[in-house]
Amino acid sequence: MRTPLDSVAGTLLSGFLLTGLLFAIVRALMAR
Amino acid sequence: MDIPALDVVLRWTHIVAGIVWMGHNYSNVVHRPTFEAMAPGQSAEATGALVMAALSREHAVFRYASIVSWLSGMLMLWQRGFLVDALTLTGYHAVIGMGAWIGTAMMLNVWLVLWPHQKKVLGFVAATSEERGRCARVTFLSSRTNTMLSVPLLFFMAASQHGLSLFG
Repeated sequence: MRTPLDSVAGTLLSGFLLTGLLFAIVRALMAR
Repeated sequence: MDIPALDVVLRWTHIVAGIVWMGHNYSNVVHRPTFEAMAPGQSAEATGALVMAALSREHAVFRYASIVSWLSGMLMLWQRGFLVDALTLTGYHAVIGMGAWIGTAMMLNVWLVLWPHQKKVLGFVAATSEERGRCARVTFLSSRTNTMLSVPLLFFMAASQHGLSLFG
């Protein structure tokens, strides 16, 4: 099964998307 | 010009590019510590032994560097007195805390997922070719997972010192 991690672009894009998600989580945590 | 978001993006790019560049350089230092001229008459066995020794050394440096990196990071937080706040994601220490948790996941990924499978792929532990094929896929995904995780990790490292204003 091919995953996004099977390509360099997919790996980096996943990394950026995860960064955005975690950024939003930390921002929400800090706003409490 | 003082744009906080630009400062963080530039710092993030600076660190990632620096790691890609010097990571290849360090890898070369571990692979070939000294210059050795090619020996034209060298047997295949001798070459094979050298390659296995280099692989073993490279993988050990790679693995133990993950522990040194993780431990020095945790000690840094401890000596500054905010290890607990970071790990419990409290206040603005949540920024570096998120980095610390991602780094912990990456270090555990190396030792608990990648290495047990990589041993078989590299031939340090005997395995059937079918098993090696399966392990190669696991090590590939484990390795790429860490590549992917390094992107947010380095962002949070850079942002914890230079981008707190981004978090509101």
